[in-house]
Amino acid sequence: MIKLLKCEYKKTRRKYILFTALLITIIQLCWALYGNYTEFSIKNGWMMFLYQLPLVNAIFMPLLSIIVSSRLCDMEHKGSMFRKILVIAEKGKIYDAKLIYGFSIIFFCNILNWCVTIIFGYIKGFSGDVPIILYLLYLLFTVVPTFAVYIFQHTISLLFKNQAITFFAGVIGTFCGLFSMFLPQIPILRKSFIWGYYGVLQFVGLFGWTKEERYLNAYFEIMDIDWIFFTILIAICIVMYVIGKKLFCGKEV
Amino acid sequence: MKEIVKTNGLSKRYKDVLSVNSLDMNVKEGHIYGFLGPNGAGKSTTLKMLLDLVKPTAGEIDIFGKRLNSKTRIEILANIGSLIESPSYYGHLTAAENLRILQILLDVSPSNINEVLHIVRLDRQHSKRVSSYSLGMKQRLGLAGALLSFPKLLILDEPTNGLDPAGIQEMRELIRSLPEKYGMTVIVSSHLLSEIDQMADDIGIIANGKMMYQGPLNLLHETDNTKNLEEIFLNLTGKESSL
Ligand SMILES: Nc1ncnc2c1ncn2[C@@H]1O[C@H](COP(=O)(O)OP(=O)(O)OP(=O)(O)O)[C@@H](O)[C@H]1O
Ligand SMILES: [Mg+2]
Repeated sequence: MIKLLKCEYKKTRRKYILFTALLITIIQLCWALYGNYTEFSIKNGWMMFLYQLPLVNAIFMPLLSIIVSSRLCDMEHKGSMFRKILVIAEKGKIYDAKLIYGFSIIFFCNILNWCVTIIFGYIKGFSGDVPIILYLLYLLFTVVPTFAVYIFQHTISLLFKNQAITFFAGVIGTFCGLFSMFLPQIPILRKSFIWGYYGVLQFVGLFGWTKEERYLNAYFEIMDIDWIFFTILIAICIVMYVIGKKLFCGKEV
Repeated sequence: MKEIVKTNGLSKRYKDVLSVNSLDMNVKEGHIYGFLGPNGAGKSTTLKMLLDLVKPTAGEIDIFGKRLNSKTRIEILANIGSLIESPSYYGHLTAAENLRILQILLDVSPSNINEVLHIVRLDRQHSKRVSSYSLGMKQRLGLAGALLSFPKLLILDEPTNGLDPAGIQEMRELIRSLPEKYGMTVIVSSHLLSEIDQMADDIGIIANGKMMYQGPLNLLHETDNTKNLEEIFLNLTGKESSL
């Protein structure tokens, strides 16, 4: 396994995969953090982030997954290299090594993103200290849906030679996820797409906001956390992993 | 003499077409086995089945005296070097970087890299990315990758594809020298009997997935009184296609 991971690292030379991932993360941070910070938002800054950022994650995390996974798998497809490495190494381990390597990059970006967000909050002078427990939960609820999306992208990137297919599948999924986040009235919608789980696991709500009064009487409040669907999401990850690995191992090249 | 590869009723069906039809293949240790057949005969499919890249729909494969299955595959394949259809490579890496990856996976000495690069005469192309190589150079790199672990069995699918006449001659001499020098057994496929003629000990001729002839090359010369090799080949393969 170590050998395979070492090879993954060596293969990514001149591919700028980490660089691309960091670039996307920087764009995401600019998008998420740039804005007009009113008195209300400084006062409620920490909660406001927990309310707003899942939506930004639902756009950028799947995008990051699409790009990283297809860049990692395309190298083998392009030079018909699967024919060579599938003979040398165990098929299942190749699937795992690529998954671990790719998701490590995504995970690193997630952590970086999370840290910068908190530092930014302090720089802006948000009232009070960061509610660290809530922020750790938020991190968990970002990483796990991203892992689900990554397993999906990873598997189809391995199975299909044409990376345009994986790109479209990923983009369609992302749109379904976003669409479902704008329709909180129909909760089943977001629960039926892995891309919607950024919304399912969002646990801070904005209340008391009206068109006329705007933020005058508005407040953020912690809502119930949907642990059942969090468990279901983990089950989905396991099922996708098992099926994906099986499909990859049965692939003829 | 020991048999390195032995297949029994090996078949592969794609939808309704039997691409390989109960093939019994016997490759003897230390021999060069020429695997001949026209386009679409099933050569690549057969060789891929030997490497467990394609699952047979029927039949068995024994390599080094062991049955090939999901449990034994890693152990068996560790002793096989292969070059199937188009050469495999990472285009964004140089030849040495490509071989370095295979060397790590194969767990062989790093000094093998320079050795095989020298054998295939790519040692002066060190710093070039493989995507800018010509087809013949990629083919040489593919051969270098197949030789890297100096395996017991070498499977080469149309290795002369894309090589210039001098390259073909060189490749032929190289393959010819492998059994003596390194004790390898070689399976090499081709469309042309004349190409195989000067290097193979045994040949198997396949047409439409069926084995039409298998045995020592010189026996084929004796049984058929036609002097022209391509005529023999056309006779054997033509019989099947006219059915
Ligand atoms: N993945 C596949 N799906 C369907 N049919 C296939 C597939 N791969 C091969 N075939 C069919 O199997 C037959 C044998 O193909 P194969 O590639 O083994 O021929 P070959 O002897 O290597 O030919 P060539 O000399 O052109 O390389 C062909 O008729 C081909 O169409
Ligand atoms: Mg072929």
